[in-house]
Amino acid sequence: MLAPDDTLRSELLALFARGVDQPLSDADFNALALRVFAYQFERNAAYAAYCRRRGATPATVVDWRGIPAVPTAAFKEIPLVAGDPAAARAVFRTSGTTRGPERRGAHYVLDLSLYRASLLPTFEAYVLPDGARLPMLSLIPSAADAPDSSLSWMVTALLEALGASGSECFATPGAGLDVGRLSRAVRGFEAAGQPIALLGTSLAFAHWLDELRAHGERFALPPGSRLMDTGGFKGHRREVPSEALRADYRDLLGIPETHVVNEYGMTELLSQYYDAALHDHTRGHARDARRKLGPPWLRAVVADPETLEPLPPGEVGILRHVDLANLDSVLAVQTEDLGREVEGGFLLLGRAAGAAPRGCSIAADLLIQAARAQASGP
Amino acid sequence: MSPFDAFHLPGLEESDVERWETRPLGRDLALRFPLLHPAGLARLLARMREARARTLSALPVARIARAIDRAAARLADPADPLRVAADVALPAATGLSAPMARHVLDRALLDWREPALHALLADELGDPAVLDDFRPRPARPDTTRHVRAFGPALAFHVFAGNVPGVAVTSIVRSLLVKAATLGKTAADEPALAPLFARALADVCPELADVLAVTYWPGGHEAIEAVALREADAVVVYGGGAAEESLRRRTPPGTPFLAHGPRYSFGLIGREALTADRAPALADDVAHAVALFDQQGCVSPHMVYVEQGGEVSPREFAALIAGALERLEAALPRGSLRPGDAAAIHAARGAAEFRTIAGADVVLHASPGTEWTVAFDADPAFTASCLNRFLWVKPLADLGDVLGLAGPVRAFLQTVAIAAAEDRRRELGAALGRIGAARITTFRAMPWPPPAWHHDGRGPLLELLRWVDLES
Repeated sequence: MLAPDDTLRSELLALFARGVDQPLSDADFNALALRVFAYQFERNAAYAAYCRRRGATPATVVDWRGIPAVPTAAFKEIPLVAGDPAAARAVFRTSGTTRGPERRGAHYVLDLSLYRASLLPTFEAYVLPDGARLPMLSLIPSAADAPDSSLSWMVTALLEALGASGSECFATPGAGLDVGRLSRAVRGFEAAGQPIALLGTSLAFAHWLDELRAHGERFALPPGSRLMDTGGFKGHRREVPSEALRADYRDLLGIPETHVVNEYGMTELLSQYYDAALHDHTRGHARDARRKLGPPWLRAVVADPETLEPLPPGEVGILRHVDLANLDSVLAVQTEDLGREVEGGFLLLGRAAGAAPRGCSIAADLLIQAARAQASGP
Repeated sequence: MSPFDAFHLPGLEESDVERWETRPLGRDLALRFPLLHPAGLARLLARMREARARTLSALPVARIARAIDRAAARLADPADPLRVAADVALPAATGLSAPMARHVLDRALLDWREPALHALLADELGDPAVLDDFRPRPARPDTTRHVRAFGPALAFHVFAGNVPGVAVTSIVRSLLVKAATLGKTAADEPALAPLFARALADVCPELADVLAVTYWPGGHEAIEAVALREADAVVVYGGGAAEESLRRRTPPGTPFLAHGPRYSFGLIGREALTADRAPALADDVAHAVALFDQQGCVSPHMVYVEQGGEVSPREFAALIAGALERLEAALPRGSLRPGDAAAIHAARGAAEFRTIAGADVVLHASPGTEWTVAFDADPAFTASCLNRFLWVKPLADLGDVLGLAGPVRAFLQTVAIAAAEDRRRELGAALGRIGAARITTFRAMPWPPPAWHHDGRGPLLELLRWVDLES
């Protein structure tokens, strides 16, 4: 007979295997979330202590929205694992350096199969909804080169499982993006009339587009080509609004807005959200293309920033995520990202962490950047 | 929604305006301003330059100080319509609570009254009349050298942030050195500078045409190109990408004076931690944290407390927490942007997990997000998320701070020290060596004296050019 944890794990894997378009009822999601909560409460003493301080236990919480959420900042302080951190198969870390006044957040992952099982069908649903199998060109380093990056792990898994031949990574952590090699490869696919999928951070794309502009280069990629970008410009001096980026994707790469999908994920979650753009386009829907959709096992709450209570639809608040794939860590994660619930999803209005102070005192982020520059300087 | 005219543009004509804009300011107020044509701004600056040559440059500095004093008196009068407008607009614009905004304005405008202005002039210049004429230097009868100081003919100020009074203080300095002054207000505090300009124009018509204040969305290159080209000095607050961009666009040779964001903190020696003195000291610390909702460059992010006093660092943290709770009634914390509240919850949650993990961390927090004191035995410098969130850290010896200060050196500004005077001097010298610009007490921390070396520089002197007359 299976131990109870294995039952829950295999139920979750089975749920993920049904794919993203199989709906999960509120009651079913609630039941699973409460079971995952109880599982974590029992196995994660730190999280249980945090919950007890809020008077929340599996006996008192009846609604998934009431499961105590851990702020992302807490991942910097303590291993949040439902189990033994030493047994982690991977430790994904948030960006930053180990020196300086900041600590990096760490997500201990005991079971990478949950990550893979969650990310593949979600990417398929929102980036490959037409069932296309395309060469995937990544502007993100591979997992072998960046073992502590959850994004690198995800992209490597995507290339292996869903990428057609010619899929490749064009960046390494040390040397950065190999712009020349990427441009040559893209030119080759353009000449062959082969549609491709480009995957990268917004920052890496902005950098590549600058280079293209500087050299007067542009592409007219074959129809069906698409692009997934992710991440903002947090912690970087450079800021490019997403509208401007999408205009550049269209003008310099030949990828229309319908085929540009922004991914919203974080190191602390094993599941991701994506823009509805391509999913809608494939089904002939015309709704807000930039609303974020996720798999049925991932739900968002827009919370009142002051009280952390759920807000009525339409109001701007901070996003809390409840991710059943986070079985081995904590399922409820409170972010500092701003969002607003819309019909059938939510709009991501900005990643609030690191918002500049209103006055003339220094922002924590700036201090961290300065310390980082100092640490890496001569 | 009633509109608030967030500009003072002498001689403005409709043809100078590209379009009028109105943006909501809080729930009940809207900000109205003209988006200027670049050519309209050029005409305005030409008029200001001409008016300056006609009036300001010949006006004795004592008369300018008198006029500024009279304008400040209008803002100090609770019944004056300009003050009434300030009391409505400041909380709406800055997010500060109404009692806090009133308190800050009342205190800030003392710096624009005659005694403070005379103190500033005397402290900076010795003989303020060098702004009016050639004056002997050194001031001896047998001297053969005379000196005179000239300010820029036209100064362009770019303000940032929501701390009321910063913009007007900068304008006041500029006028004292007889510069025609254009101020571009910040989105978070667009109210006080235009009100001051209106008051000044009322009380001293001679100065009506040398000061212009308005708002435009920062980074508007066509408008800013005109201001940067015409200005003889550029004064920029706020730092960051906006400062860099302005610096890049300022013609070479034009003085560019920047006041970027700063880091301030406090030090408390064991000798100050007697049972009878500690409560009053905790009140002063709490007040320094609460003022401006901790958004000021002079607001402390954290306080180091030395071990070995009658009151332990951990006990002292609890005293500060009590003081912040009491202050909430008189000077309530203002409204927060969503991200600011989220940052407080995040920092509290992280501190809680450190406690759970066994670290020596004690969190004191209001039921809402109003105030937080986090005692943390890890002595590393920490940046607060602000809005009344103070870190309290123990040190075996106050001198240990010097070895820890690396990450904040480039941003260091005010350090409040409560300790024996010889230790204050010794620590003050060491901290000054690594970048601190001001050593003070906790009580005085929020309000530097008018003649302080703002970010280590002379606020008037840095605007001046000297001419020597030898005979």
